[in-house]
Amino acid sequence: MMKKLFNLLLLPVLIFGISKVSAQGISFDKYHTNDEVQQILNSLQTGNSGSVKLHTIATSPGGEEVKVLEIGSSLEDVPAIFVGANFEGDRPISTEGALYLAQMLLDSSKYTENIKWYILPQPNPDAAAGYFADVKYNLSVNQFEINKDVDEALNEDGFEDLNGDGLITKMRVKDIEGSYVVSKNDARIMVRAKTSKGERGAYKIYTEGIDNDADGKYNEDGPGGINVGIAFPHLFPRDKKEAGRFSGETPEVYGILRFIYDRPEIAMVYTLGSSDFCAVQPKGGRKGGANLSNIKLPGRYARMFGADPNKTYTMEQVIEMVKPQVPPGMEVTPSMVAGFLGLGAAVNPLDADLKFYKNFNQEYKKFLEAKNYKTEALDPAPAKDGSFELWAYYHLGVPSFSMNLFTVPKVKEEKKEENGALSLDEVEKMETEEFVALGEEKIDAFLKENNATKFNAKTVIDMMESGKVTPKQMVAMLKNMPKPEKEEGELSDKDKALLAWSESHWEGKGFVTWEAAEHPTLGDVEIGGYAPYLESTPKAELIDSLASIKIPWLLQLSTKMPELKIADSKTTELGKGVYKLEVFVENKGEIAYPISMGERNNYPAPVMLVLDGDIEILEGTKRMKVGSIGSNQVKKLSWIVKAKINSTIDARLESVVFTDDVKQIKIGG
Amino acid sequence: MKHTILSALLIFGFAFVFAADKGKIEVPLRFDRYYNYEEVNEALKVLNAAYPELTKLDMIGKSEEGREIYALTINNPETGDELSKPGVYVDGNIHGNEIQAGEVCLYYANMLLTKYGENEKVTKVVDRNAHYIIPVVNVDGRFHFFEDGNTPSTNRSIRVAKDDDKDGLFDEDPPDDLDGDGNICQMRIKDPYGQYKVDSEDERILVRVKPGEKGEYTLLGYEGIDNDEDGRINEDAEGYLDPNRNWGYNWMPPYVQRGAGNFPLSGVGLKAINDYINARPNIIIGYAFHNTGGMWLRVPAEKSIEIPASDVAAYDVIGKEAIKITPGYVYKPAYELYPTYGDFDSHLYFIHGAYSFVGELFMRSQETYKEEQKGPKEDDLESLRGGTRTERSREQLEFNDKVAQGELYKEWKKFDHPVYGEIEIGGWVKMSSRLPHPFMLQDLVHRNAAVVFLSAEHTPEIIMEVFDIQEIGNNLHQVRVRIENENGLAAMTAQAFKDKLYELDRLIVKGGKVVAGGKINDVRLNKVSYKEDKPEIQFFALPGHSQVEYQFLIEGKGDVTIDFESRKAKNVSTKISL
Repeated sequence: MMKKLFNLLLLPVLIFGISKVSAQGISFDKYHTNDEVQQILNSLQTGNSGSVKLHTIATSPGGEEVKVLEIGSSLEDVPAIFVGANFEGDRPISTEGALYLAQMLLDSSKYTENIKWYILPQPNPDAAAGYFADVKYNLSVNQFEINKDVDEALNEDGFEDLNGDGLITKMRVKDIEGSYVVSKNDARIMVRAKTSKGERGAYKIYTEGIDNDADGKYNEDGPGGINVGIAFPHLFPRDKKEAGRFSGETPEVYGILRFIYDRPEIAMVYTLGSSDFCAVQPKGGRKGGANLSNIKLPGRYARMFGADPNKTYTMEQVIEMVKPQVPPGMEVTPSMVAGFLGLGAAVNPLDADLKFYKNFNQEYKKFLEAKNYKTEALDPAPAKDGSFELWAYYHLGVPSFSMNLFTVPKVKEEKKEENGALSLDEVEKMETEEFVALGEEKIDAFLKENNATKFNAKTVIDMMESGKVTPKQMVAMLKNMPKPEKEEGELSDKDKALLAWSESHWEGKGFVTWEAAEHPTLGDVEIGGYAPYLESTPKAELIDSLASIKIPWLLQLSTKMPELKIADSKTTELGKGVYKLEVFVENKGEIAYPISMGERNNYPAPVMLVLDGDIEILEGTKRMKVGSIGSNQVKKLSWIVKAKINSTIDARLESVVFTDDVKQIKIGG
Repeated sequence: MKHTILSALLIFGFAFVFAADKGKIEVPLRFDRYYNYEEVNEALKVLNAAYPELTKLDMIGKSEEGREIYALTINNPETGDELSKPGVYVDGNIHGNEIQAGEVCLYYANMLLTKYGENEKVTKVVDRNAHYIIPVVNVDGRFHFFEDGNTPSTNRSIRVAKDDDKDGLFDEDPPDDLDGDGNICQMRIKDPYGQYKVDSEDERILVRVKPGEKGEYTLLGYEGIDNDEDGRINEDAEGYLDPNRNWGYNWMPPYVQRGAGNFPLSGVGLKAINDYINARPNIIIGYAFHNTGGMWLRVPAEKSIEIPASDVAAYDVIGKEAIKITPGYVYKPAYELYPTYGDFDSHLYFIHGAYSFVGELFMRSQETYKEEQKGPKEDDLESLRGGTRTERSREQLEFNDKVAQGELYKEWKKFDHPVYGEIEIGGWVKMSSRLPHPFMLQDLVHRNAAVVFLSAEHTPEIIMEVFDIQEIGNNLHQVRVRIENENGLAAMTAQAFKDKLYELDRLIVKGGKVVAGGKINDVRLNKVSYKEDKPEIQFFALPGHSQVEYQFLIEGKGDVTIDFESRKAKNVSTKISL
């Protein structure tokens, strides 16, 4: 057996740090029930009535109100950030994180001077109640009525806590048709029998409960409902019953959508939950999305634009082809082109956006390191289809950052003997020439290390030299390959981590030891398995420290928002009172406006430069579109005008998102 | 400034319409006229007042501009609760300009009520079904179509402002009714370099000049001014949020599906209608009437989606009859027209489990002015299509002049345009092109209502027969039951069954202990697929014109009840004694 070093010291600050006393009086030493969350929201509102407003945006099917806390309600004409947490209801630490953020924002005015914040700590209150229930089972659905087994009765076959421990775990039953066996490495863990290796299953596994409706299925129609966290309209998973029949069917989702679309000033969205775009860029590689750098033009459009229907073009190239075909003054946008070509919905993050995600991922890593937070934890989950964070990116077209406050720490293993093989990350950054220059020996070692035994160095070098694949593409392929099989009987990283975490932080109670019981229909069973919430929810003592380390990053991110200003202007006399007028607009932020996805979906509000004064415009319009501006870039807008020398005009940068900026321009000055 | 004058004109027009007296609205309703928004409501109220025992009038919600949306229920409570009967849903005018769809709905209600007790077939359909009728879905749209200047094709949207030209202003540059006649017509200007000249036979028609030929006119588009001074005219009219792209099933965002709205059912009136339908799970078939083109469209609306063959067969039962009831109409899946996402019909079929049809009312080819021809000449495609475009225009204008007494077309008239100077305004008026002249309305509303009526007749009718009971020893009885659907529409669509959309239709044996039960695959060979668990309940979806047989082995003696339970078909029950 390999030696293991448990990373018991998860959080240095837990021992050395002393949590600050907040003026807002919220204590983060426990998870708050929904009633308590509501009380906190109310007290934040009454304690800060000049700057805080509370909006009730929906009532859940279970009768709970869904509320948004507005911080900076007295501010006008400023961009806003929307923060949602715990959409699936089974991650109470995210709700705490949202309250923690609210507290930080109210304790100091630093991040609320020019930004309005909308905070939604409890979008799925029905499901959130599950953590506080007498019997716990990772509840993620609300009380919307859904007949999940479509029989004659509703909610008639839920779980039962047969062993009375307050937790719904698993039942294992010896069964000749079973497909599970007990792991050779750890008698607690059940694994699928490897029939390919002649192994035969011995157990069936059920969730804890009885077959109340005697239909042969166990616990298939318990109370609830819709999972708010998978019911948003981007990639709405209509094959999942718990998403509802269509997006927005459940009032929480409908209310959230309405609230956000009523506020076009929302320029950035945060989500506290299971995915983590702060740490890992949003996932790409989904099939079905159009590749905007490889567009094929259908015959009739190809003829119209004088293009070759057999060739592929980039979006920029197509835009240049379309421009001469539209009336003057009409802007040709990627959204328009994608629309008439019928390219469908975007399903992968756009390249230009991945750049800022990547940069901030790296900064976040450094940010955590600087706080001495070096815990290597299990990977955060990828964002789910129908999730809020994906919807915010794809449909609003704004930067969407999700944050996972807690995953279980990995069990550190003694490093295998150093074989000098290059890591995937190292290879990913290499140019083709560089990689080929490594030589066959090193490349073979790299391939072996990554379980790519089907390939050898020679074929890979050939493929690279003929331009079929780049090192970056190869690494992407390797990353998608099934993980190498563990040694016989060895536990998965996740099982190892969960069992260790149970020992170190749950007094061993994170795994309910299998114990024999008598089941009314299954006979002799054993009940046991991982406790609900082990994976997602640390003990309450850790809330404060986790939040105090990670949540400030969200404040830092807020400073990166696009910031649009008039940087300069210039007038040049062309003669006889006719002038060329130029206005330079700059984006001082670290993110483009709109981001690439915003250009694609055309949703973000436009920024206009509006001229006002005693002038006659000969070329250009009074209201001119600024269009997209990259981070730290300048854009020039120009007009030809007739005006009197020394007269003044106002140039106003106008949008519903950003604070308007006015500059007085003196003609000939 | 110009805007104020225009809105003053609008207010004046508004007052004018209300003062107009088009005759009292009374039962039976008249269909030689179009009803404006208020009059539709009035018509529903008089029907409700005349037939209080058969009808119920519900205000089911309000629109973006606060107008009330009404639904009329026709049900005979003496023959049962409405939810126990197969429901037939009809709506119209989801696009604000498609007004005759509302008249079809009104006609359907008027026909059922006024002929009840007189016509045997009508009486049966009123007694056997529940009918839900929403004549005007887009109430704001109907209101503005009548009261504002419009073309036959404008004012389709839900009244949610959208910044079409992305300049930060919303709906700021709509067409303007410059001459104040209630129509948005065409503008043309004399121009020796123009691309158009007048037609040799009818100088109201403009035809393109040939290369090198001198022109006479330039077409300037629809009546309007550049309200926002951005160098473009009429580029940001009301909306556009297409009420037939805003439904939940297969909804796609606006950058994929134009007019989708920001999120499914963001239109408040549409949301109210969805809630209304959701509360009536007995609806098994629904119609949404539109104009124009003469089509019966069924799902799917997008070609990557497939529906089960038995549902297509049920659609065909209606569709293939419908094209004979409405000669000239075609019947086809909606995606063959163009793909749509978030359309009402797909929502009705995939979310609410009801067969759904779009009726695209009216074909302009019915506006004829010619001698009857004894069939087209061979190889003469143009005469098959009704001539060249110019020939069709000439005929349409003759129809206007000599059949419709000039009511469909506005003669070109000089107008002093604030930007263009002297122009001419003229062309087809809003109550033309997509709308039949009122004299043709009666025929249109009756034929289309007859199709809805036919589908009501085809809603499932379930017959249960216990056709064999045998004692087989050990205190067991073998009981065989046949369930038959006599009509063309299934009791539960195959798609709903496949999607597990709601509790499945089922047969339940009550009162005896069922030892085994299952579907009979071959009655003569006694081949039965027994269900492993809970044999007393058998789930299935019964297609139209079909039957299915089940066998139960029941222990003991005494009374046993066999129930057929269905969300949409009428439940039936049989009692046997063992």
